[in-house]
Amino acid sequence: MRRMKVRNLRALVATFVVLAVAIGYVTVTGLGNVCAAGVGLVSSICPVGALSALLASKTLIPRTLVALAVVAVLILIFGRAFCAWICPIPLVQRWLPDHRRRAQELEVETKSVIETVSRSTSEDTDADARTGGKRIEDEKGSCASCGEGTTCTAGAKMKLDSRHLILGGTLLSAAVFGFPVFCLVCPIGLTFATLLLVMRLFAFGETTWTLLVFPVILILELVVFRTWCRRICPLGALMSLIAGASKTFRPHIDDERCLVTSKGSLCRICAKACPEGIDVRHPDLSRHGVNECSKCLECVDACPVHAISLPPVPSRK
Amino acid sequence: MVDMEQTAHGMMRRTFVFGTAGCLVLFGMGGLAYMGSTEVCRPPGGQDDDHFTSLCIHCEKCREICPNSAIGTAHIEDGLLNVRTPKMAYSYGWCDFCEEANAGVPLCESACPTTALLLPEDARPETVIIGKAVINRSWCLGWQLMGCRICVDACPYQAIELDGDKRPMVKEDLCNGCGACENVCVSMENGSVNGEESGRAIVVEPLESA
Ligand code: SF4
Ligand code: SF4
Ligand code: SF4
Ligand code: SF4
Ligand code: SF4
Ligand code: SF4
Repeated sequence: MRRMKVRNLRALVATFVVLAVAIGYVTVTGLGNVCAAGVGLVSSICPVGALSALLASKTLIPRTLVALAVVAVLILIFGRAFCAWICPIPLVQRWLPDHRRRAQELEVETKSVIETVSRSTSEDTDADARTGGKRIEDEKGSCASCGEGTTCTAGAKMKLDSRHLILGGTLLSAAVFGFPVFCLVCPIGLTFATLLLVMRLFAFGETTWTLLVFPVILILELVVFRTWCRRICPLGALMSLIAGASKTFRPHIDDERCLVTSKGSLCRICAKACPEGIDVRHPDLSRHGVNECSKCLECVDACPVHAISLPPVPSRK
Repeated sequence: MVDMEQTAHGMMRRTFVFGTAGCLVLFGMGGLAYMGSTEVCRPPGGQDDDHFTSLCIHCEKCREICPNSAIGTAHIEDGLLNVRTPKMAYSYGWCDFCEEANAGVPLCESACPTTALLLPEDARPETVIIGKAVINRSWCLGWQLMGCRICVDACPYQAIELDGDKRPMVKEDLCNGCGACENVCVSMENGSVNGEESGRAIVVEPLESA
């Protein structure tokens, strides 16, 4: 219920961004789309586009570097918040069948966890099998006792995956071919381009094959590969790398409230809620490190005892 | 810190397949894109094709900021490499070098976040050649002796003149491709000259690549 609220709030914000871009398209404010959003002559820049352009042209362009630095600082502070709050792709994915199926899966998973918890068994075999086979042995102690003596600072650990390989390919291809190759198929760009084409179709009656081709590429990328954000997106990959050095807005658990540390329960609700595969309670069992956190607040909403917060500055214990 | 050991183990086959396939697609596209690329008229500063293509990230900034709505978007019909890049759209507006809106300093060039549009310090409208106007004589009202001099009066550079028979002629050395003529050309609206027009009688065409 409250969880639905955060999800809808995110959709609302992302929709607002799309609307703002659409309004920018028909005015001369020069708002730009998210590839370089800003007002008038000032704008931010997509870090993947900027790096590609710098590599492709093999020159250091002051104004691009400045914009890039500003964006890097923003990512350092807010991590991958762009993914949860601004990017239009999750918005598009909401309407795709696969996403609904995943949402259902998640619900089933969550139910099974709640069952497990309510039975208060001391073994959590299912969940463990999914998170790399490690057992949560001694649940009663503090966080430090989970996962064979490793400490929770393991949460700082980054894990590389196919997205990072594709990020490498993106930058390399730009350097080799001398133009930002990835930008041609970037679904974020294609979403805004499709929006623009539809608007121009209605405003000027401008027709083009692109109007058919862009949606087809988009659907291919988002439906056929389905796992764009998790497996492919080089922008998400780049932001996760930068966010590795971030200390702000990291999910933080109040141990006194958390059922695991205070009651020794097997609660894994926050882990199941996280769309990025982060287990805030047991970072070392987690599929992904906290650097992937998109600040979506799903975990905050899901925790039954409201133990999770995302403090602007890390709180010292 | 990146835990490399963990990473090596964690990079399972599927991850590797996805990553490599993605990279291969990107490299395939990089090569393919060279195939169908045509010349298009770019906003001021986009005349050096290699420079422009290496830097434009399709952000739409230039198109949006143009006070005269003279910039449109290139489509697949203009070649894969050009898709989503800015292309002059003279039927909606023409380029006055931002004379009226910004005292002659091109806003599109100033707004471009990557300097894909880049003008030399001493750039003036007369020296930045976006394209050249070309008249289709069988569509032009003046050439069909129906007495039209609208483009002649519209040209800010006096690059169109009427010849002895009152037919408009473009003086190529004076035309900078601003598109004022194409913008005002009435050949389409004025009923057709011969019923088979598919465009305006005077259009700005991109320069042949030097
Ligand atoms: S991973 Fe990429 S496509 Fe997905 S939300 Fe983040 S930026 Fe958008
Ligand atoms: S850790 Fe929490 S806020 Fe971060 S991505 Fe996961 S659910 Fe969202
Ligand atoms: S933080 Fe909340 S949701 Fe997460 S394990 Fe503790 S009680 Fe469960
Ligand atoms: S110089 Fe000014 S009028 Fe000309 S295309 Fe650029 S923004 Fe438009
Ligand atoms: S502002 Fe520059 S990078 Fe953006 S679309 Fe125009 S030319 Fe390309
Ligand atoms: S002939 Fe047309 S395009 Fe050339 S300068 Fe004159 S108005 Fe501009």
